[in-house]
Amino acid sequence: MNSIPTGKASTRKTIFSRETTVRAKIEADPSIVWALLTHASDFSRWNSTVVSLTGEIREGGTIELKSTLDEKRVFKLKIKEFMPEKRLVWGDNMGSRVYSLEKSMGGTDFTMSEKIGGPLFPLFASFIPSFDESFEQFAADLKKEAEKIQKAKK
Amino acid sequence: MTTDQLAIEFENFQGELKSFLLRITASVQDAEDIVQETYIKASTKINTFRGESSLKTWVFRIGSNLAMDQLRSRKRWPDTVTDICREESLKNPQFFKEAMNIRQTSPQGNFEIKEHIAFCFTCVSKTLPLEQHLALLLKEVYGFKLREIAEILKQSEAMVKYYLHVSRNQMIDIFDQRCSLINKQGICHQCTELNGIFNPKQKAQEELAKIEMARDAEDKSKEELFDLRMKILQELDPFESGAADLQLYHLEHNRKVMEKYLGETK
Repeated sequence: MNSIPTGKASTRKTIFSRETTVRAKIEADPSIVWALLTHASDFSRWNSTVVSLTGEIREGGTIELKSTLDEKRVFKLKIKEFMPEKRLVWGDNMGSRVYSLEKSMGGTDFTMSEKIGGPLFPLFASFIPSFDESFEQFAADLKKEAEKIQKAKK
Repeated sequence: MTTDQLAIEFENFQGELKSFLLRITASVQDAEDIVQETYIKASTKINTFRGESSLKTWVFRIGSNLAMDQLRSRKRWPDTVTDICREESLKNPQFFKEAMNIRQTSPQGNFEIKEHIAFCFTCVSKTLPLEQHLALLLKEVYGFKLREIAEILKQSEAMVKYYLHVSRNQMIDIFDQRCSLINKQGICHQCTELNGIFNPKQKAQEELAKIEMARDAEDKSKEELFDLRMKILQELDPFESGAADLQLYHLEHNRKVMEKYLGETK
């Protein structure tokens, strides 16, 4: 996983699943990155891959997400894991999106990955667009916004 | 610190605390009640004050907690608050009758555009999520430092930075879209409209020329215009100004309208 260059998405495919991962070195405190990732109503302001995100990002919460990958579709997702400033997982029966934050010397090592799959995956795999570009954009937007907040004068 | 020392120190910032609480609650009664409760709570807990922060920060923390306890279950206001309240006031002749009476009889019944700008911010800022609202006022109007705001809100400094960034941007966007004083395409003209009603002999343009934010709107960035708007709030005490009675009456009206609109009428 660590071999993936920062900011660049990579996808691993098998017959029954597909997993896309992106990493970024963000020069901001993990709590700023966490704040950005957990304030649902603010998402579409800074994240150009999200059309809308409603609901509450908290332990056991549910959200409705509209992504630029398919603006007509609303993904109804459950918050599966919520470990402040460390790990956030949301998803549905098809798969899960995992956000990991690790405090580093210069700020935060951020990783986002999503694995989708299941026994029927081969039937619809060709209809699911690639996530790579969207993941890279997501990570770039997050980095830009978090660093902007970090650098804001006291 | 003793309760006697607290009483003396409290006096020094009581006015700021009260105006802060008014701007949070939009209610004179609630602001006054919370100031009183804050003092009582501070007196009973004064032995726990260790001097790790300033007394003012410690007291603002108590006041903020009390205000947040009261407001947490309440809905936030929509960004069209001033439109909704304007419509309601136009349907209510009693509102203008009473407002005109205050204008003519109260020593604090003047109408000044500058004061209305501050009043307008109080209403519009209630669209922000609660913690962001408090953080923004504490920083931009009452001059607290990040570390102190983090202490008051029991949050990390980084989270406060996030609150300030988001709330500031949201306010800048709302005023940029709405306020005709800073944007010719702005849809809200209420301050000049009301100035025409309460000060019929005054020329609005002459009055606006006295307000830096309006006068220099074309030459300044959105950020700078927001800072100038905050400067107006910093310089005004909503309880002591020459327009206090009129503005507080108007604020009370708007709060009641919003409570009804949001289905929160007691």
